[in-house]
Amino acid sequence: MIRFENVTSVYAQQQRAALEDVNVDIDKGEFVFLVGASGSGKSTFLRLVLRENRPTQGRVYVAGKEINRLASWKIPSLRRDIGTVFQDFRLLPNKTVAENVAFTLQVIGKPRGTINRAVPETLELVGLEGKGQRMPDQLSGGEQQRVAIARAFVNRPMILIADEPTGNLDPNTSVGIMKLLDRINRTGTTVVMATHDAGIVDQMRKRVIELDQGRVTRDQARGGYGYQH
Amino acid sequence: MRLRYVFSETGTGLRRNVSMTVALVVTMFVSLTLVGMGLLLNTQADKAEQRWGSRLQITVYMCNDISKSANCAGGEVTGAQRSTIEDTLKTHPEVRSTDYRSKKTEYAALQELAKSQDSSRQDLYSAVKVEDMNTAYRVTLKDPQKYQGVEGAVRGLQGVDSVQDLHQILSPIYAFLSAMKWGAIGIAVFLLIAAVLEIGNTIRLTAFARRREIGIMRLVGASSLYIQLPFLMETLVAALVGVALSGVAIALFTYLVVYRLLRENSEVVAWIGWADAGQAIGLIAVLGIVLTLIPTLVLTRKYLKV
Repeated sequence: MIRFENVTSVYAQQQRAALEDVNVDIDKGEFVFLVGASGSGKSTFLRLVLRENRPTQGRVYVAGKEINRLASWKIPSLRRDIGTVFQDFRLLPNKTVAENVAFTLQVIGKPRGTINRAVPETLELVGLEGKGQRMPDQLSGGEQQRVAIARAFVNRPMILIADEPTGNLDPNTSVGIMKLLDRINRTGTTVVMATHDAGIVDQMRKRVIELDQGRVTRDQARGGYGYQH
Repeated sequence: MRLRYVFSETGTGLRRNVSMTVALVVTMFVSLTLVGMGLLLNTQADKAEQRWGSRLQITVYMCNDISKSANCAGGEVTGAQRSTIEDTLKTHPEVRSTDYRSKKTEYAALQELAKSQDSSRQDLYSAVKVEDMNTAYRVTLKDPQKYQGVEGAVRGLQGVDSVQDLHQILSPIYAFLSAMKWGAIGIAVFLLIAAVLEIGNTIRLTAFARRREIGIMRLVGASSLYIQLPFLMETLVAALVGVALSGVAIALFTYLVVYRLLRENSEVVAWIGWADAGQAIGLIAVLGIVLTLIPTLVLTRKYLKV
């Protein structure tokens, strides 16, 4: 589903590479944690998958397509297959919960019938049934992140990318969010999650890819946050 | 594509940047009106040229008793002098035809002219007698632009009082029309530069105000056209209002100045009409729309990089 072949990424006006000779292969339906210190290259990795950046060297494949050679007008269609969740939720404050979720479908031109069906369904999946008419600032942090996940997932993408989704949440709330991501993963969606949260990684026992100064230092099938045998 | 979203975003954008939109409308209005005026002046100059160009004749006035020219030392032109002049004209390669005008014919033409003048000057005309007139040759040229050769050939001849050609009278008018035209177009160019910069500012303001939304749209895979469309519509609305205002201004000018003032009071030249005004309005409409759409497309691409 996602494959990096000898990927090196150097930002303009910087000496050190953000990613250096990275080789990673993530299968369909996998749940992968991306761990490492700040500046280790986790966000660059995710940006390459979304084609926000292009690699300086090497190739990035998403769903079988070599996306660094994708024409710019085809990028939107790539991103429709990828849902994205951030640490800071990024909800639209002047739209209701339901409108925030519907926004994804509206801007890619889905018919109203589809939207009216998919939005309540997805809100129920993330555990926010009955809260569609609330405004984001009336919700707790955990609930806001659920809205963001609903927005990312409402179009049933093949891949869900989560960049520190629990970074702003307390441990109990984080567990709820992880259960939700696990449930989404069980529907067949590939989940790639960058995180600093050792507790979560240790608890979930999923594949762990560790980055250090842009290099992959560990790729373990059922790993913990730190190295364990 | 859900147009409802595009229209509501366009409306919000126009309200949000109302002062910028008004500035854009005013700049477009003034600059396009100037361009339109320049076009009309150009058409008017062409029309005058066509009307006069075909008729441009040289008039060679011959001496009479009261002539003061150096060639007129002998008083009234003699028969011999006259035939020399006539021969010179008739054998000149640039001359198509010559027409001899007696004192009587010239006097009649003067009286005809007097009728169209206002009463305060009638005394002046009635004081002139037939004997005071000059006999003359009206010379029609093969090419009205090449008048200098013929003029030079007869000017020095004995018995020639003066040579008059309309180019001397008309060329300052042409120069004036041309200067007005280029002045209008020059100012319009500066204003259009200002309009393009205003479009850039409007887009930047809107892109900043909507950065969160646009970020999400890009992330969930909205097409760039869908993201750009509200911006395009916003500047297009401003451009269309500007075009409409300058269209009205040009139509008003045509009606009040050309039809009510110039056409009614002077038939010296063929005046521009509604067809010319329509053409100018059409051109500025195209110009206004193209000049807004192109920078909008370029700048939205710049500020909303996918």
